[in-house]
Amino acid sequence: MKRYLDLAILAVALALVPLLAGDSAYYMRIATLALVYMSWTVAFNLLFGHTKQLFLCLGALAGSAAYVSVVLTQQLHLTPWVSVPVGVACAAALGALFSYVSVLRGLGIIFVGIVTLAFSLIFHNLVLGLRELTNGETGLVSRGLGFPLLERPVAAYYVFFALLAGALAVYSLLMRSRSGMAFRALSDDELTAALSGIDVTRYKVLAAAIASAIIGAGGALYGFYNGIVSPSIFSFVGIDIPVLIGLLLGGMRTRLGPVLGAAAFALIEELVRPFGQLNVLVYGVLLIVLFVAFRDGMVPMLGRAFGASGAFRGTRAPGRASPPGREA
Amino acid sequence: MTAILFDGIVQGLQLSLLAVGITLIYGLGGVLNLAHGQFAVFGGVAAALLVSSGVHPLLAAVAGVACAGILGILVDRTLLLPAYRYRGEERLLLGLILTLGLSFVIDGALNYKFPEFSLTFRLPIQVIDVAGIPMRSAGLAASLIAIVVFASLFAFLRLTLLGKTIRSIIENEVGAELCGIDPGRTRTLIVCLATMMAGVAGITQGLFSSLGTEMGPEFTTLGLLVAVVGGVRSVNGTLAAGVLLGIVNAFASHYVGAYVAYIILLCAAIATILVRPAGLLARFT
Repeated sequence: MKRYLDLAILAVALALVPLLAGDSAYYMRIATLALVYMSWTVAFNLLFGHTKQLFLCLGALAGSAAYVSVVLTQQLHLTPWVSVPVGVACAAALGALFSYVSVLRGLGIIFVGIVTLAFSLIFHNLVLGLRELTNGETGLVSRGLGFPLLERPVAAYYVFFALLAGALAVYSLLMRSRSGMAFRALSDDELTAALSGIDVTRYKVLAAAIASAIIGAGGALYGFYNGIVSPSIFSFVGIDIPVLIGLLLGGMRTRLGPVLGAAAFALIEELVRPFGQLNVLVYGVLLIVLFVAFRDGMVPMLGRAFGASGAFRGTRAPGRASPPGREA
Repeated sequence: MTAILFDGIVQGLQLSLLAVGITLIYGLGGVLNLAHGQFAVFGGVAAALLVSSGVHPLLAAVAGVACAGILGILVDRTLLLPAYRYRGEERLLLGLILTLGLSFVIDGALNYKFPEFSLTFRLPIQVIDVAGIPMRSAGLAASLIAIVVFASLFAFLRLTLLGKTIRSIIENEVGAELCGIDPGRTRTLIVCLATMMAGVAGITQGLFSSLGTEMGPEFTTLGLLVAVVGGVRSVNGTLAAGVLLGIVNAFASHYVGAYVAYIILLCAAIATILVRPAGLLARFT
C-alpha cells in the first residue's frame, strides 16, 4: 500500500479544495482548470516523457474532441453520453495515427514536432473555414448541451477530479505492467529496446493512443464545462505551451511531477494575470530557463532533498539521475 | 490568370526571403529557429519606430535590418550556447525549445510595448505595366529587393572564401573543423546574415501591406513550411519552394479561399516530410 501513498495524499488534498474555495466561483474555476491541465500534463508525460514523442498538437487534439462532441450534440441531437466518447475516440485515433506514421517513416523527434505542429494549424484553419458547423472565430455555445453536472461549479470540479484520478490510475497501471517496462526501456534507448525484443511501434502507438484519449476526454469535458468552444480556447499557446512548461516544472518521467508542475504553473499564471499581454513573455522565459537549467524538474529534486524515500520517488528507474540523452 | 501568377511570384519571393534564414541556420547551426518570424517583426518595428521619429525611410530600413542582425548575434552568442554544446538530435531539440521560448519572449515584449502597432511604408500606389501585366509598384519593389538579396547571397556563397567555408560546414561540421575552420564564428556570422534577411522580409512586408507585432508566429510558420518543403538544407531548394508555394497559395486563395489555401500549404509540408525525406531527413535516416 505504501507504493500508492503519494497518490492517496494527493487525492485527499485535491478532494478537499472545494471545502476551502467552494464559495467563490472564481477560485473554483481556477481549481477546475488546474485539474484539466493536470490531466493533460499526465497524458503528455506519457507521450513526451516516456516515449519521446514530441506532440505539439495537444490543443488541436483536445479541440478536435471538444468540437466533435459539441457539433454532434448540436447537429444530431445526440446525448453527451454518446458524443463525448465519439470525440475521445477521434482524438485517440488521430494521436495513434500520428504516432504510427512517424514511427513508420522513422521521423526524428523534431519532425514529429513539425508534423504535429502543422496539424495544429490545420485544425485551427479547419475550424475557421468550416464556418457553418463551427461558427468560426466566435465559437459554439455549448452551455446547456452537455452533462447538467458540469454546470454546477463544485460538481464540475469533482467530474474533473475523477478525470485526473482516472488518468493517474491508467498511468500507474500502465507503468506497473509490461508496457511500463517497455516505456522505460524506450525512453532510455530506442534501438537497444528494439534489440531486446520490444515492439517499439506497438508501445509508441499504444502510449500515443492512450495519452490522446485522455487529452481528448479533458478537451471534450472542458468544452462543455466552459460553456463555449472556440479556436482560441484550444490554441497552441493556450494549451501546448502550459502543458510543456508544467511537465518540465514538475519533472518528466515521474508520477507526481505532471500534477505538481501543472499546479505550479496555474499558480504562476495567476501571479502574472494582472500584467495582461506579458504572460506570453513569462511563458518564454520559463521555457528557456527550465530547459537549460532545470531539466530534472521539481519531483526528482524534492526526492533528493527528502532522501528519495517514499512519496517523491516517482516511477523513474532507480539509480538514474540525469535524463537519458543528455550524454549524447 | 497571369495576374494571379505574378501575385503568387511576388508573395513567393517574400516567403523565400523569410525561409532562407531558417534554412541557413538549420544547415549551419543545426538549430531550427522557431523565432525567425519574430526577428522579421523586430526589424520591421525598429525601422518603423525610426521612421516615426523622423529618420529617412531608406535609412530607417537599413537600421531596422541591422537591428535584426544585432539581435541575431546576441541570441547566437548567449541563448543558443547551451544548444551548441550538443550535437545532432539533442541539439535540435534543445534549439527548438530555446527558440520557441525566445519567440514568446519577443512576441510578449513587442505586444506589451506596442499593442496597436502597424508598420506601413506608404509608397505611392502606382500600377506599372510589366510585359503587359499590370503590377502594383510596392509588390514590384519588394520583389526586386528579394531578388537582389538572393543574388548577393548566392554570389557570397559561391564566390568568396567565407562562402565556401560556410558551405563546407553545412556539408560536414567536423570535417570543416579539422580543416581549421572555426564553426562558432562562422555560425555567428550566418545567424547574423539570416536574421538580417528576416529583417528585410519584415520591412518588405510593410512595403506592400502592413506589419503588426502579432504577425511573428504567422511569419515563423510560413517560413518553416517553405524551408521544410525546400528541404531545410538547401538554399536553392528554399528559393524554389518559396516561389512554388507562393504561386500555389495565390491560386488556391483565389479559387477555394484563404483557409483552404493555408491547409493545402500545411499538407504540402507534411507530405514532404513523410514522402520525400531526402532533403529534410537525410541526416537522420
